Parts: sequence; structure tokens; C-alpha cells
Amino acid sequence: MQESWRRRNFLKVGFLSSVVFVMSGCKLFNISTLKESIDVVQNDLFPKAKELGIDTSGYLNRVILHHSRIREEDKLFLKNGVKWLNERAVEIYNQNYTKLSSSSRQEVLKDISKTKWGENWIYTMNRYIFEAMLGDPIYGGNNSEAGWKWLAFEGGKPRPTKEYL
Amino acid sequence: MYDVCIVGSGAGGSPIAYELSNAGFNVVVLEKGANYREEDFNKDELAVSRRDMFTPPLKEQYHIINEYDSSGEVTTYSGKESGWNFWNGSLVGGSSNLMSGYFHRMKPKDFKLLSTYGKIEGSNVVDWCISYDELEPYYDKVEKVVGVSGEVVEHKFQEPRSSANFPYPCLETNGVTKWFDKACKELAFDSMPTPRAVLSQNALGRNGCYYSNFCGSYGCSSGAKSSGRAALLQKCNAKVITDAFVYKLESKEGRVTKAHYYTKHKIKHTINAKIFVLSAQAIESSRLLLNSKSAEFPDGLANSSGALGKNLIFSAGGSGSGRFIFENLTKEQREELMQVGVFFNRSLQDWYEYEEAQKSYKGGTIDFLFEHQNIIPRASREMYDEDGNLLWGEKLAEKIHKRLTTSRVLTFEVFNDWLPTDKCSVGVAESAKDKWGIPVGVINLNSHPHDLKVGEHLAQKAVEVLEKMGAVEIEYSISSSPPPNLIAGGCRFGNDPKTSVLDKNCKAHDLENLYVTDASFMPTGGSVPYTWTIYANSFRVAEVIKSQLKE
Repeated sequence: MQESWRRRNFLKVGFLSSVVFVMSGCKLFNISTLKESIDVVQNDLFPKAKELGIDTSGYLNRVILHHSRIREEDKLFLKNGVKWLNERAVEIYNQNYTKLSSSSRQEVLKDISKTKWGENWIYTMNRYIFEAMLGDPIYGGNNSEAGWKWLAFEGGKPRPTKEYL
Repeated sequence: MYDVCIVGSGAGGSPIAYELSNAGFNVVVLEKGANYREEDFNKDELAVSRRDMFTPPLKEQYHIINEYDSSGEVTTYSGKESGWNFWNGSLVGGSSNLMSGYFHRMKPKDFKLLSTYGKIEGSNVVDWCISYDELEPYYDKVEKVVGVSGEVVEHKFQEPRSSANFPYPCLETNGVTKWFDKACKELAFDSMPTPRAVLSQNALGRNGCYYSNFCGSYGCSSGAKSSGRAALLQKCNAKVITDAFVYKLESKEGRVTKAHYYTKHKIKHTINAKIFVLSAQAIESSRLLLNSKSAEFPDGLANSSGALGKNLIFSAGGSGSGRFIFENLTKEQREELMQVGVFFNRSLQDWYEYEEAQKSYKGGTIDFLFEHQNIIPRASREMYDEDGNLLWGEKLAEKIHKRLTTSRVLTFEVFNDWLPTDKCSVGVAESAKDKWGIPVGVINLNSHPHDLKVGEHLAQKAVEVLEKMGAVEIEYSISSSPPPNLIAGGCRFGNDPKTSVLDKNCKAHDLENLYVTDASFMPTGGSVPYTWTIYANSFRVAEVIKSQLKE
């Protein structure tokens, strides 16, 4: 039991380490990791989470990208969005998203927010950031109820004693 | 062999189980979902509201939806791909565990819409084959046995009652209800406390409400919410078999003989009983009968009339809201506004019938309630600025913080009749199968333009109240989109076996021992949520079944 649990967690940790191939035209431009990009872009999208000490990318990786109730195509969209974000950064600045200055990254976000996929991806990313910040702490986000305290919100009782995955 | 086999354990099935098992009969209930007791429920927003833990995964169980627009054009959706979800609650007690429990009775004229208001072109409105007076004793019984709290306030459309008042006093309310009552008084509207299927005090062997702040959508951890599980199934000896998806009812010579079911691991089982009661929720009950074809019933069980699956209805209307902001309030009012846990519980029925251009119209009910406390959608709703631009970063954080900590939204819900039409019905899709290989239900959606007209009239009255109360950002949406938690019809009851599936006792005209007791029997739905009427009718039918078994 314990071993299988460890194995599952190992696999989960492994997911965000998978590489994203960023293409420029037909040429492989650079290799980034999902985790590196997601860490940076989530902080760009909602810096309050980091300020409150909430690990939003860890929640995305451990809970969302492995959840039995989230469709595979939706998980793929999250991952593809990271790839497309980086490709757009390369098109505009000839650099991966994570290598850009803060102001340039904001320009890339503004640029993709004008596209249908980009708007949807930013919205979805923020929605999962809110889940991490404002869901029950048992899921690994909302550290010490910091998200709830920020909004003077008291979670409902009784609280869950195990995660629903 | 069991005396009674009930398919589905919600508001339609649980009163039958309670009454017949307490009368000494051997009753079995087959429920597709799992069993939860009070101690199993919690307020996990991610599990309940974001991951839909109480409804089946759409990749395994779904519907095909044909949506007709006003010109008759149809667009087809698969629930599996589109995410359009018509499931309500697969667990013992069904969606009655998850309801908010806004309980209103139907009114006498609701039982005779056609003869009172006349035919509306393009609709299939008929009078019910029973009257309000026949159902009233059972509405009363639900108040006492299942548990309804409230206070009777005289108003123009107060229905006749055999008990002077509710057996349980009103639940505690938020201070903002005073603003509401004052506004209504100034407008000469009759504010009434919303009756709730939630116990306000310990009673019936259950705990009273503990004001968790998370009622609708969530299971109740105290047992105060009057679910079919807490109020009835846990108070009787009926055997409940969970993980039992009934896919076929077998019949022979005018009698149902067996219910066949699958477990989630596709193990087949069979139940024999003298009487079968179907209460799987309106869409699923029609689907099961349509999927139970035989040589005797080639078009579906109990379908010699061809009426099976026809005249599906929802609740028409819509919802709206207004926001109260700190800038416009005194310190005391701010504190009242932000008081959480207690309920709002106010309704208006002043326009249950109204006149326009010297013509009488059937109107409806408006319930007022605070915006649901789920915090993730409340934060998510702030993701756009006033010009419709997507926000992120510091700007978004500032907006969320200000809106959620210095303002609160009061919402309203409009309930009016969804007129039955030829194009709103249930079928089955031979080519689309669920995880057990059984044809999924097809939902044909169509609404009558009259529904929108009435909903609009009611919504404008609700807006007047919000304006008078000093709310800002008032908005509403009356639409023809069907609320998936307010479904009825498909197995109409009536006196004529050629035009109805069930007789006045909700027994299939075609079969000696098959009853349908969820909302399927309803030819029209009244302008109220359906649960109280489903419970009451089920208690009524239980009397009939008891007599049949004693014969």
C-alpha cells in the first residue's frame, strides 16, 4: 500500500518535469520544463498567492493534472498552453517566456489574452490558482488558511478529512 | 420475493419505502449511487462543487441533448463532450440531499391550468386528474413527517391549509431581511418567509440546523435538511441496495416480474417483487421504460399510448441579483450585511396570477437568497473589468479583495410554468451507450415563448424590490435554458389510457403492478420547485399500494 502510494507520488512529481518542446517555425528552438514555466506564469498571473505562501503550481501538478474527474483534453490544454505561451514569447522576443523580463512577460500575456485560446488559458489558469488558494487546505494549497484569511472567509464545517481525487 | 421493489431512493421513492416498510411489508430500494450518513458529509467545495462528486462522471454516463431554437432548428450536443450535465445526485436519498429545500406547495389553480386560463397555442397544457384538495392532506403530512419550517403569512394567493401553521418555526435570518420587508411594505408587496425543508430545532429524531453557511449543493451533516435519506430511509427498515443501476424491467402478461441491475463492475443481479415502483428521476425513469422493450411492449414498457417520454418539463424563469456596497451603508448595516450562516428566506407570490391588458395570466414565485457562499466562483466572477477585459495580477487581486470583503450580492430566482410542448421530450439513443452498454437518454429541449414573457414580468417585480432596498449593479436573466435540477414529466398521469402513461394513482395503465412516483407523472409543474409535491404525491400513492398489497 505504502509503496504504491510512493510510486504514484513519484509519477505525479514526474509530470511537471516533462519537457516542453518550443518550436520556432520548423526548428526546435529551446527546451523548457513545464514546472519552470508554470511557476513563473502563475506568479505573473496572481502574485498574491506567493505572497501568502501558497504553492499553486504544486496543487496544479499533484491534484489537477492527475484528477480522475478532470478530462484528459482539459489537462492537455493546460500543458499545450504553456507550449504556446513560450512559442509566442519566442516569436515576439526570440526568448523563452521564463527568460524574459517581468515587463516583457506581461506584454506576452497581454498579447495572448487577445486570442481565444489565450484568454481561455489565462482564465483557466487563474481558476486553478483560486482553487489552490481558496479550496480546503487538505489539498495542499491554502497554506494555514492564508487564502481564506485574506478574504475574511470562514470555510464550511465540517471540513473534509481526506482528499477527493 | 419482495413485496415492493423501488428503483431510485430520492423524494419519489423514499416515502413509499417509509410507509410500506413501517406497515410491515418487505421493501427493497435499488440505488445507483453510494450511501452517505450525516458523519460522511462535509463542506469540501472542491469535491462537491468543482469536481461534482455526487454525480456520475460524464465520460461514463451522459445524455444526448437536442436543443430546438425558436425557428425549429436543432443543435445536438453530447454530454460527454460538451459537459452539459443533467445529473442531480446519485446517492441514497438522491438530490434531496443536495437541495436548498425552498418548499412551496402548488396552488389549487395549478391543478387546472387549462380550464382556468384556456389553451395556449403550441402548448400541451391539460388539467391534472386530481385536485389540490386530494393532495392537501399529503402536503400536510410532509410538513410533519419529513419536516418543513416556516410561518404562514396571509397573502392574496395563500393556498388552503388543513393545519394553521407549520410544525417547526422559521429558521434564523440575516438582518438584511428587515430591509427587504421594509422595501416590500413601501411597495405594497407581501413579503413572506420562505418555507424550508430544514428543521429549525431538534425534532423527529434529527438535529436542528447548525447554520453551516453551506446548505444548497451540500449534504447536511446534522440531519436537519429534510432529505429522503435523513427523514425517511434512515427511519425505516426498508433494505437499500447501493451500487445498483437498474437497466431493464422485465414483464409478462401485464405484470412487471423482475428488475435487472448492474453493479459498477458490471455484475448482473435480478430482483423479484410483487409491486415495482419507479422513481429514478424524470429523465431516467422514461429512459428505463423505453429501454425495457418486449414483444408485448415493442415501443417501451407501459407505452401503449405512445405518450412515454413526451411532455418533459422544467421550471421556467431565471435568476437575477443586486449588490449592496459598504459605501452606501451605515456601520450597523455593514455588520448586518456580512453576517453569514443564517438564511435570507424571503419569497414573493404576489403575482402568482396577474392581469395584463385585461387578461389573466398564470404567474409564479420569486425566492430571494444571498449569493451562494462558495468562494471560488465568487472570486472567479471578478476576472473581467467593467469593459469586459480579462484581468490578472495585482489589479485582479485588489478587485477580488474589495468586492468580497466590502459588498455582498442578494440574488433572486424566478419560478414559472414551463409549458409542455411536442418538442420537449425524452428518448433513447440506440447508437450512444453508457459504460454498461445501455442506450443513453436523449433530451429534446424546447421552450414556449410564453414562458419567457411571464418570467420577464416577474423578474421586473424583483428588480423593483432590489432598487427600493438600495442595491446596485442590478441585473437578471430570463432564459429558456433548462435548470437540470427542476425536471418533471415524461410519464404523464391522466384518466385516458390513450393519452397518458399513468392513471390517477400513478400506476401504469398498461400494467397491474408498476407505479412511477418521481416527478415524471406531472402534466404541468406549477410555479414552484417540485420537491414538496413529489414527496406529497408519493405519500398519496403509498396509501394506494398499501391497499393493493392488503387485497
